[in-house]
Amino acid sequence: MSFGAQLLGGHPAIVLAAGLTSKIISLRPVDLAIITLYFISVLGIGFYLKKYAGTGEDFFVAGRKMTAWVAGLAFISANLGSLELLGWAGNAYQYGILAAHWYWVGAIPAMLFLAIVMIPFYYICRTHSVPGYLELRYGHATSGLSAITFAVMTILMSGVNMYAMAVVMQVILGWNIHFSIWVSSLTVGIYVALGGLYSAIFNEVIQFFLIWLGALLIPILGMIETHGWAGMVARIQHNFPGQNYTHMWGPMVHAADNPMGVQWVAIVFGLGAVLSMGYWTTDFLVVQRVIAAKDIRAAKTAPIIGAFFKMAVPLIVILPGLLGRAVLPFHLYPENLAKPGQHTYDQVLPLMLARYCGPGLLGLGITALIAGFMSGMAGNISAFATVWTYDLYRPFIKKDATDRHYVAMGRWCTMIGLLVSIAAAYIVTHFGSLMDYVQALFGFFIAPLFGTVILGMLWKRATKQAGFWGLLAGISSSVAIFTLMHNSPTRVAWFTFYAKAQPLAQDMWQALWSFVVVVVVTVAVSLATEPRPVGELRGLVMGLTEVPSEGHLPWVRRPVFWAGVCFAVFLVLQWIFR
Amino acid sequence: MAEGKPDERTNPASTKSNPSDAPDAELERHHMIPVWFFVGMLLLVYGILIFIEGIREWSHPPHTVLANLHPPVWWGILLVIMGLVFTLKHFPKKNR
Repeated sequence: MSFGAQLLGGHPAIVLAAGLTSKIISLRPVDLAIITLYFISVLGIGFYLKKYAGTGEDFFVAGRKMTAWVAGLAFISANLGSLELLGWAGNAYQYGILAAHWYWVGAIPAMLFLAIVMIPFYYICRTHSVPGYLELRYGHATSGLSAITFAVMTILMSGVNMYAMAVVMQVILGWNIHFSIWVSSLTVGIYVALGGLYSAIFNEVIQFFLIWLGALLIPILGMIETHGWAGMVARIQHNFPGQNYTHMWGPMVHAADNPMGVQWVAIVFGLGAVLSMGYWTTDFLVVQRVIAAKDIRAAKTAPIIGAFFKMAVPLIVILPGLLGRAVLPFHLYPENLAKPGQHTYDQVLPLMLARYCGPGLLGLGITALIAGFMSGMAGNISAFATVWTYDLYRPFIKKDATDRHYVAMGRWCTMIGLLVSIAAAYIVTHFGSLMDYVQALFGFFIAPLFGTVILGMLWKRATKQAGFWGLLAGISSSVAIFTLMHNSPTRVAWFTFYAKAQPLAQDMWQALWSFVVVVVVTVAVSLATEPRPVGELRGLVMGLTEVPSEGHLPWVRRPVFWAGVCFAVFLVLQWIFR
Repeated sequence: MAEGKPDERTNPASTKSNPSDAPDAELERHHMIPVWFFVGMLLLVYGILIFIEGIREWSHPPHTVLANLHPPVWWGILLVIMGLVFTLKHFPKKNR
C-alpha cells in the first residue's frame, strides 16, 4: 500500500466513478499489444526466476544479493503505485503545488534518516522484517502485535486497492471489473509465488522505467504547450484569478490561508517528522527491499538513490495536475459535486494522457498504470508472505520445520493471501463505505510503530514491557482520535487547532498525537520496569552496536556524502517553490 | 538463546536447508540474467512498436494536442536507444 494512497481523503477509484458516464480512453491494437506484452513479460520473468528462489533466504529476502541500484529502484517503485499517481495528480489539481509536500518534506528527510541512522540496525541484526527486529529488541509480544496488524492490514489493503484499480480501469478504459480483478491479481500471484521477492523486485524495477517513460511525456508536452513554467503560472492565474496554486510555504503560516486547512507545524512535525518517518522507516513493504541489499553500503545507498528519484516524482505527478489547471478547457470538480458528464479531480492524469498521447504512447501510459498497480500488489503479497511465515507461522505455529517447508508455506500463503485480497475486493464492492475505514485502519499503525522502533534503536533503557504497552497505547490512541474526529466534526479542532482542517491535515495531527502517546507510555513503563542486560542489546541499539566500516572509500562513494547532496537539493527545492 | 541476539527464530539464513539444494542454487544465482537485460528488452520492443506507429500515422496524426510534433516517433527512438544500451550492456554471457 502506498503512503500517498493511504492519505488520500477520497479514494481515486470511487472519485473516478462518480463523475463519468463513458470511458475516457479508447485503445487501439498497438496499445493492446503493448499491454499484452507486459503481462507476458512479467509471467515469463516469474517462471525464469523460480529456479533461483529455492531457499528461504532467496524466496523471502532475494538472497540478500541486490545491488544498491536494484534495491533503490525497487524501494521507490514499491511506493509508486497507480492509485498514488492518480490520486496525487488530482490533489495537485485541487490544492496546487501544496501536494508536493508529500513528495518532499513528507519523504526525503525520512528516507535519508532510514539510510544513515536506521539501516545499520536492520542490517546488522540480519532480520528479515520489521516485526523480526521487534522480536529481537522487545520480544514475542510486541513482534506478534506488529506482525498481526501488518499482515491483516496489508492483505485488506491489497484487496481494497485491487477493487479500486478495477474501477479505475472500468472508468478509463471500459474494462469489465471482474476481468481486471482476476487477470491482474492472478498474474501477480503466479509470479510472486514462483520467484518470491526476486520476482517482486525485478518487476518493480521494470515498473519504475515504465512509469517514468509512460508519464514523462505529459509534463514535457505540457511545458511546450504552455511555453514553460512562467507560461503555465500565467495561464493558471488567468483561469483562476486570485488563487495561489504555485507556492508551497507562503500560505502555510495560517491554516485558513490554504485549501488544506493546515499550517506549517503540522506539515513539518506531523507529516515530516512522524507520519513519513513511520512509513518510510518501519513499513515493511518498503523496508523489505532495502533488507535485500547485498551489503551494508548498498543497503544505505539504496534509500538515497530512492530519495533522489522521489524528489523528481512531482515532475510526473504534481506538474500534470498543475498543467490541468492551465490547459484543460473545462473545470474539474470534487467527487461529491461532479454531475454526470463532468470530470473529477482524480481524472486529471488520464485526461492529460488522452490530451497528449495517441496510439502507442497511450498503451505505454496505461501499461505504466497497470504495472504500478500490479507492482504495489506484489509488494503487499510478498511482504505478507514473509511476515506470515517468519513472524507468525514459525514462532507461534511450527517452530522446527525445514527451510523447504517454510518456502512452501511462503508460496502457499502468497496464493491464499491473494484469494483473501480478492475476497476483500468483492466485499468492498458491496459495502463501499468500508473502504474508508480499511484505509484508515492502515494509518493507525504507522506512527505508533515508528515510535516503538525508533525508541528501541536509540534508547537502550526501553524495556520489553514498555515496547508492547507503548505500541498498544499508541494504536489505541490513534483509533480513538480518528473515531472522535470522524464521528463529530466539531471535535476536529480539539486535535488540529482548526475546525476546518481537511482529512489530510487530520491525518497529520492524528499521527503526531499517537506518536507522543507512544513515547510517553514507553518512557514511563521503561522507567518502572527492569532494564534488559546490555549484552542482549548489542547489534540492536545505538551506542551498543558497532557499525561495520564501509572500507577506505573516497568521499564521493560514501552514502553519507550523497545523503548530504540529496538533502541540499531538497532544501533548494523548498526555497525555489516557497 | 538470548532474545536479543539474532537467532534461528528470526533469521531465515540460519534455518535448516536441504544441503543438496544449496550448491545448485548458489551456482544458478551467479548466472542469473540481470534485471537490466529484461528492462532493455522490454524498452526495445516497446520503442520499435511505438516508433512504427509514429511513422504509420506521420501523414495522419491523431487528434491530440501537439500531434504535429510527432511524439511517438521521438519517444520511440528514445526507448529504442535506451533498450539497446541496457540490452547490449547486460546481454547474458554464454559461458558459465
